[in-house]
Amino acid sequence: MRDEDEIVRESAGGPYRQIVARGVSRRDFLKFCSAMAAVLGLSGTFAGKIAEAIEKAERPILVWLEFQDCAGNTEALLRATKPTIAEIVLDVLSVDYHETIMAPAGKQAEKSLEDVVKNHKGKYIACVEGSIPLKDNGVYCCVGGRSAIDIAKEVCGNALATIAVGTCATSGGIPAAAPNPTGAIGVKQALPNVTVLNLTGCPMNVENLTATVVHFLTFGGLPATDSIGRPLFAYGERIHDHCERRAHYDAGQFVKQWGDEGHRQGWCLYEMGCKGPETFGNCPVVKYNEGTSWPVQAGHGCIGCFQPEFWDKMTPFYRRLPKVPGFGVEVTADKIGAGVAAVAAVGVAAHRIARAIRGKQDKKEDTE
Amino acid sequence: MAKRITVDPITRIEGHLRIDCEVDGGKVTHAWSSGQMWRGIEVILKGRDPRDAWLFTQRFCGV
Ligand code: SF4
Repeated sequence: MRDEDEIVRESAGGPYRQIVARGVSRRDFLKFCSAMAAVLGLSGTFAGKIAEAIEKAERPILVWLEFQDCAGNTEALLRATKPTIAEIVLDVLSVDYHETIMAPAGKQAEKSLEDVVKNHKGKYIACVEGSIPLKDNGVYCCVGGRSAIDIAKEVCGNALATIAVGTCATSGGIPAAAPNPTGAIGVKQALPNVTVLNLTGCPMNVENLTATVVHFLTFGGLPATDSIGRPLFAYGERIHDHCERRAHYDAGQFVKQWGDEGHRQGWCLYEMGCKGPETFGNCPVVKYNEGTSWPVQAGHGCIGCFQPEFWDKMTPFYRRLPKVPGFGVEVTADKIGAGVAAVAAVGVAAHRIARAIRGKQDKKEDTE
Repeated sequence: MAKRITVDPITRIEGHLRIDCEVDGGKVTHAWSSGQMWRGIEVILKGRDPRDAWLFTQRFCGV
């Protein structure tokens, strides 16, 4: 009798055929679909729909443009320690152009890109990594003699959709940090009329790219986004609200110095500069390197890399969140002004009040 | 007559590299390599908290 896998293998099309060809069992595939449903914030019943969509999907064409980048997002895409189903799902994309990994160079490389734009106009997905410099006619980033902005206009302008990966592509990132020597901006800023989905992060979490692709295959479109174009499933909640150190925050147990007793005990890193209370992302839930860890778990505060312009707004990285009142906050809590930290600050303030009431006030720490 | 050959981009590396060579009688007589991208991280680092420097410089290359 033929097993279920065998039957599925024969009837499958497109991406799914490749997944089974890589030796992934039906069971593992369905597990992956349930996990993706969870990342996307969908109920478990959607797993079946996701599976069906991946089974039936055509192989989508993708081009990956690199501008003012460090290839960190490329690495996130490529560096899984073992082939995972996520990696395979990303493999099902037909990556027709990617400078860092493609075999052709020079004119042949550029021809691959021209061919996609010409032959698949309006049907391919463009991923962009790195910012676009506008100063001095875009001379600070050129590929094949063309400026980044020139290439982006043509390639993103003719794509079905553009996914900006990493904080540089989404908002300028490190090149745009003050004094922004090259006039760097993000893709959406450079091309306001183009459909751009922003996957912020330095680098972005590849799980979120996978989930975006799965969403695309399942629903035929991009996921719902927040006001800065980031998918809500990944950027809808505050890091601080899902952090495993949160109980220590609530209990007033803070690391005061690297390597102190609290640090060894895994206490809250807020006073060491953690930006988790101001940062929106699913790092504590999804983690990195196949769910192994994330920065706060490893013992360093969040640097806020999912937030636009974090190189200027979140620095100095080791200073406790600016504008968030310290102890003795009772008198200043109502003075907290607008700003990225407004909501977090209220949370922190309330917490400080509670601690002050409990008599744990420590004036010494209010040194900023 | 010397012939000029340009390969841009050089792929399978990170960093937007361009190579120009001059070939004369089947021999490369001159060659130039140039980085086609600049971000100015050195300029951006000026005046910042020194403890933050590693986070900036680490982003020179993500490979
Ligand atoms: S301040 Fe940082 S370490 Fe502390 S609970 Fe919030 S996110 Fe976690």
